[in-house]
Amino acid sequence: MCAGFYFKLLFREVVVMLNISKWLIIITVVFSATSLLAEEDGKVYGKGVTLEDTTQISDILATPDDYVGQRLMVKGRIVDVCKKRGCWMELAGDQEFQTLRIKVKDGEIVFPLQSRGKLALAEGVFEKIELSMEQTLQRMKHHAEEHGETFNAEEVKEPMTYYQLRGLGAVIFE
Amino acid sequence: MAFKWRKWNNILHRDIGYLAVGLTIIYAISGIAVNHIDQWNPNYVISQETIKIHIPENAKTGRIIDETTRQLNIEVPVESSFRPEPGRIRIFYTNQYTVDLNTKSGIGTIERVKERFLLYDFNFLHLNYAKKLWTYAADVYAVALLFLAVSGLFVLKGRKGFKGRGKWLTAIGIILPVIFLIIYK
Repeated sequence: MCAGFYFKLLFREVVVMLNISKWLIIITVVFSATSLLAEEDGKVYGKGVTLEDTTQISDILATPDDYVGQRLMVKGRIVDVCKKRGCWMELAGDQEFQTLRIKVKDGEIVFPLQSRGKLALAEGVFEKIELSMEQTLQRMKHHAEEHGETFNAEEVKEPMTYYQLRGLGAVIFE
Repeated sequence: MAFKWRKWNNILHRDIGYLAVGLTIIYAISGIAVNHIDQWNPNYVISQETIKIHIPENAKTGRIIDETTRQLNIEVPVESSFRPEPGRIRIFYTNQYTVDLNTKSGIGTIERVKERFLLYDFNFLHLNYAKKLWTYAADVYAVALLFLAVSGLFVLKGRKGFKGRGKWLTAIGIILPVIFLIIYK
């Protein structure tokens, strides 16, 4: 009688698990299919892009203060990515020697290192960051460490100001 | 008839425990790896080598890329290139090679990036790179862990159960992180 009772219990458990598994499989297949369809034009990161028109990076860098606080979409080749946390990427501008950093909070979006060299769209809010001297020294030291360069604090004479796009979403094309 | 809560507690603890094994191993290994992110790169193996090649004088970008590819015997296609500043070029190859070159001296570096075997995927799940549906799956796992933690308190009865040694060990497990919070916060 004991064995019969436990077999009945086990059978009931298996039936419940199979029912749950069936729904899990259905949900996974539906969501995977939806994701694949959405990504056929490029892989979407974060909230993707919503604006219709891009702003040239060269225009932004020519008069950056005019764009501070604005939501912009930019297009460019990914020329660098944060190697540790993927928390920023740099897009090459439409003109030579120009780049714009797209920065996100750690973990919010993770840009893959493998995306260097690929074309991307990025959307976000353009911001101006004014650092104190101490912050400038920390930032330059971190930058040097990231790029395997030596850092000499005495070469830093004044606090820095820089511009970046606080990223909300991106699309990276294969 | 009284509801046999301990029986169901133990059944669910056992079965949910089995379900959670895989992800717990993944999260534990990834957790250790990313905990030491200041000491190493938990996602990628990045190797760099200094190179020196001969660049013809006044060569344009296309020629520089061809010469670099030929002299370094790189067999994979070029993805794209970029000029960070005058006299410098960065060439991206499809197989995760990146060459950074001073176009005057021909001195530069070749960098190869490889995802760490398994660890990249473990981190991908643990740190929720994907977002989307995985966010909810991870929430379900977190709830399962919460259940396992609480139900585990009641699996055993008597001296070895919560009313016996269990309460002391549980208290130690709570006090230790509190001590760290007091010291470091």
